[in-house]
Amino acid sequence: MISRSQKIVVWSLVWFSIITLSLPTLVVLGASLTAGNMVAFPPQGLSLQWYEKIALARDLQQAFLRSLIVATIATIVAIPVGTLAGLALSRFQLRFTTAIQVWLMLPFTIPLIGSGIGLMLVFGEWHVLGSLWPVGVACAVINLPFIIWSVSSSAVALDPDLELAAQNCGAGRVQTFLHVTLPAVMPGVITGSLLMFILAMNEFLVSLLLTDARIVTLPVLIYNSIRSIITPDLAAVSVVFIVIALAAIWLLDKLVGLEIFLKSK
Amino acid sequence: MSGGSSAESTAGNPVAVVAQGVDMDFGTGAMAVKNAAFSLERGRFLTILGPSGSGKTTLLRMIAGFQTPTRGTILIGGRPADAVAPHRRSVGMVFQKLALFPHMTVEENVAFPLKMRRFNPREIPERVAHYLDLVRLAGFSKRRINALSGGQQQRVAIARALVFEPELLLLDEPLAALDRKLREEMQLEFRRIQKELGVTTINVTHDQREALVVSDEIIVMDQGEIQQQASPVGMYRRPANPFVAHFIGVSSFLTGRRTGTGLTVNGTECAGQAVDDIAPGLAAQGAIRAEQVRIAAPGGDLSGCDTVLEGQVSDSIFEGERLLYFVRLPALETTVQIYHHDPAEQAPYARGATVSVGWNARDLLIFPAKDR
Repeated sequence: MISRSQKIVVWSLVWFSIITLSLPTLVVLGASLTAGNMVAFPPQGLSLQWYEKIALARDLQQAFLRSLIVATIATIVAIPVGTLAGLALSRFQLRFTTAIQVWLMLPFTIPLIGSGIGLMLVFGEWHVLGSLWPVGVACAVINLPFIIWSVSSSAVALDPDLELAAQNCGAGRVQTFLHVTLPAVMPGVITGSLLMFILAMNEFLVSLLLTDARIVTLPVLIYNSIRSIITPDLAAVSVVFIVIALAAIWLLDKLVGLEIFLKSK
Repeated sequence: MSGGSSAESTAGNPVAVVAQGVDMDFGTGAMAVKNAAFSLERGRFLTILGPSGSGKTTLLRMIAGFQTPTRGTILIGGRPADAVAPHRRSVGMVFQKLALFPHMTVEENVAFPLKMRRFNPREIPERVAHYLDLVRLAGFSKRRINALSGGQQQRVAIARALVFEPELLLLDEPLAALDRKLREEMQLEFRRIQKELGVTTINVTHDQREALVVSDEIIVMDQGEIQQQASPVGMYRRPANPFVAHFIGVSSFLTGRRTGTGLTVNGTECAGQAVDDIAPGLAAQGAIRAEQVRIAAPGGDLSGCDTVLEGQVSDSIFEGERLLYFVRLPALETTVQIYHHDPAEQAPYARGATVSVGWNARDLLIFPAKDR
């Protein structure tokens, strides 16, 4: 039995976390709905004028499109690399497994500004700066550990006999991978891919270093705007980001169920 | 190795599987399989029986092709299998944890080997239906695997292993996880299907009852070595060594020295018969089945027994259709186990009661003493 005082402590902790976690979102949502010209909370009257404005702003539209392209490229690059690395690390007895693990997690241990500058130098040397795909590749590289973790957690739960059973049924290596291994780790691949997409979509620091005025992505554009003047249209853009993240979580729940995502480490 | 099956074997039954001097060394100290050699005729049901860690599953996995023998050869259908990849062997296997594909339906699981082995796509639905019918799962074809009961999953696994009509069916303790009732039902089911199709089958288990019930032949393994290959009856009646006597059935063991007529234990002569030639005076071990020892009130009727001794009941266990007595024999300084049937008819002997026990010379089997 939980005593009365324990109940009070638990519930106050729960509410404290709910409020601190959701407050910024609520503030931004409120501010975006203002009828006035200033970012303010509570909003001064309700209106959708700022949404209308961002929907019509050409620079925002193009930046949004670029962010989508970057996120798509990052996801497309990360899926095969992350899936194969995740499977290899958890399913095979490799030599230097630990070393490979550390190496793959490296992007995570280095501050983003460090990897950003490094990538900027490399891409600059290759004279590819100024196009969008290097930004996508960079986002894939720095966030790779997420999809590796996600796939590994699915692969560890996979019964090794399943692959032997496939061989026994007459499936060669490639067929075993396509018909049995891949479907079995699919929840991990889907979770990881959505995560990669959202992270690449929101990536700011590395994008800032790798883009120039012609190819700014949405987070970079917002940052540039903040430096001049803060208007409620930025709040509206933020809400769009939040909606995209919620859509991804909804999609994840539909495709694989949230419990897999919550259980994965 | 005693046969017991020679009467059934004919020239029309070619050999399906042969193992010659097969070793498996994982490099972890003791070898998993040592010098395994056996042969199995087509159409027969062989059970490899042994405690966990005896190497029985390793032997099975080598036959399936998942592991390559360190030394020796395995022939399947007369051809050396060493160079044949597992997916090219004509071998169906039911795994211990079944290893059904969770993302496929019943039908898709059973059709998978046919697709992988490039059967005519027009034939596949008919074949799948036929084998689902054989395992009595007609009507379940569209179900998901995790929507089935344990017994139904077993049947899907059997259908998947048999649907491509392999030369050889391997069963890797698939019944171990089932409760007793279902396990016994599935044992009979395995036997029915095997007889119906006549497919050569190798089953692995640690359950001696299962081995006796389902098999035409049994191989007992211990510590990586084959101890004996025989028919169930042959193995039960004529165990090749004390380990087999201990592993199959309930036996009591007497340690002593070989004499002309049996065994002398602690100075007391016990009538018995030697399985191997043992020179008199050498250390020897006798084994006797619990149901071959008779029990009676002191001075009671034990006519026909070659050895009669007195003892005290130290414990008894009620097993329903019979009682298992533990009787301490002071003359031999040992305890023997005795099955007594129809316990309801007679008043059971109380703990501490003095009783007479006796046996026939042919039932006490004498083996050379082994360091075990």
